[in-house]
Amino acid sequence: MNALTTRYDVTEKNPRLFSIEVDTRDAWREAIDFVTTHTAFVTLSQITCADWIEEEVFRLTYLFTDRARSQNLMVQLPIRRDGEGLPSLSNRFPQAEVMERDLHEMYGIPFEGNDTLYPFVLEGWTDLPPLRREFDTLAYVHAHYDFQQGREDNKDVKVEQKRRREEAKRLKAEQEEASHDGE
Amino acid sequence: MMESKQIKIFHGPQHPGITGNMSVELDLIGETIQRARTHVGYLHRGFEKLVERRTVLQAFTIVCRICVPEPDPNEENFARAVEGLAGITISERAQYIRVMVQEMSRLAAQLLWMGGQSGSIGLGTVGQWSLYDRDLILDLFEQLTGGRVYHMYTFPGGVRRDLPAGFLLRLSELLDYLDKQLPRYDKIFFDNATFRTRAIGTGVIDSDTALERGYVGQALRGCGIERDLRRDNPYLVYDRLAFDIPTFDGGDVYSRALVRREEMRQSIRILRQVIAQMPEEGLVMQKLPKHRKFTLPKDDIYVATESARGEFGYYMAGDGSAHIRRMQVKGPSLIHGFTLLEPLLEGEELSNVALIMNSLGICPPEIER
Repeated sequence: MNALTTRYDVTEKNPRLFSIEVDTRDAWREAIDFVTTHTAFVTLSQITCADWIEEEVFRLTYLFTDRARSQNLMVQLPIRRDGEGLPSLSNRFPQAEVMERDLHEMYGIPFEGNDTLYPFVLEGWTDLPPLRREFDTLAYVHAHYDFQQGREDNKDVKVEQKRRREEAKRLKAEQEEASHDGE
Repeated sequence: MMESKQIKIFHGPQHPGITGNMSVELDLIGETIQRARTHVGYLHRGFEKLVERRTVLQAFTIVCRICVPEPDPNEENFARAVEGLAGITISERAQYIRVMVQEMSRLAAQLLWMGGQSGSIGLGTVGQWSLYDRDLILDLFEQLTGGRVYHMYTFPGGVRRDLPAGFLLRLSELLDYLDKQLPRYDKIFFDNATFRTRAIGTGVIDSDTALERGYVGQALRGCGIERDLRRDNPYLVYDRLAFDIPTFDGGDVYSRALVRREEMRQSIRILRQVIAQMPEEGLVMQKLPKHRKFTLPKDDIYVATESARGEFGYYMAGDGSAHIRRMQVKGPSLIHGFTLLEPLLEGEELSNVALIMNSLGICPPEIER
């Protein structure tokens, strides 16, 4: 951790979670090299993306775990939303291959050098990558599915609620009456 | 002599030997697998997108559905991520109850796994016993939460209600029963000659690769690496509880099974301590603002729970509103189902596919989220 703090501005999220932020591809590459060769954070555990559409960036988080699996470090980098990509890490970390494939499908981020960026969970998908903020789930559903009527004998919830309230009131009144009679 | 021909078959998604709705594309020469490719996409329900469309507290009802065999680590992760971002501290009693839920869930998941693992080699009786015993745990979950499989009980701020009267006594009686049952499982399953013959030396993982590639749970502990988040990165009150982290060196299906067997014993040990140490009093649920007024700051966090199958993590980012900006689920299955399973199957016999898959605890819904 000392090696990391001398070189980067490290934010301590909690005693077992830290983050560093870089802003260019070169700085990101350098940070990944540094973290995995000069610190104990050697295992790539997760790659995450969050869409900050109002800032026009995707914020990528590379989560590294130390050898003892007791601390995590997030290396974070914003990239432009308009198709900017990053070099794939799959040559160094085989587990990155499927994580990048997932993010490519859900956000449309190209990872240069990853040759498995074919469809992952969405088959025949032609719309926007669905986890982008501008993808409207409701509009998609209206465009692709028909509304199905409920069963005819479905009860109106409000009618049922009213009936139950009245039933509870009646029971309470009966109980009170019975207790008065007892006295 | 006839020349061997390569054939391609799809193992799943509709196959009793597959661990859920996924498929493995196998290239075979004779019975030997030349190449394996995992295919998912049969169960995509868009959990991560749905969560973004609801308020923070409404999103809670979705997360338990991410994994059927063990929904509780999802609830725990969701609650702890929200609490971490919102700065909520929960009472000691609530923490003990949550540990209890996690360990009951682990026991139920291991018993369910035993049914699947034994079924993969035709030992049907084991599954009938273990699913009966799992049902006894689900009975307790029903008393505690109202639900058998999905509990919606571990909530940001604590747990949704206190223990029902006499619950710990009933749990204690169940643990006594399971203590007597576990040696019977040794006889019928773990020491069974068929299982040993099939499992020893099958699906071997090497320890350096396991560490380097981020394998978790039994895939790691089954090749001798003693890693468990409950001890290495403790949460709730696990640092006050004594338990061992079982490891075995074989790296094969059998070692992973033995790890699970010992983990069941450790869960019982932890639950007995929880019963003994449970504080008599304490608020089980902190008072929270109404769901439309409950906001998360613009910040992010990563939390993880040691599930029955290994590290289960959530990344969560808030944006200052009543909605979650991003929640990503990191279950063991994404890496195990692709980076681990594909090379592990190459060179194996076709009949070992189900055996190996079950030993890795792959759960497709958490791959597709």
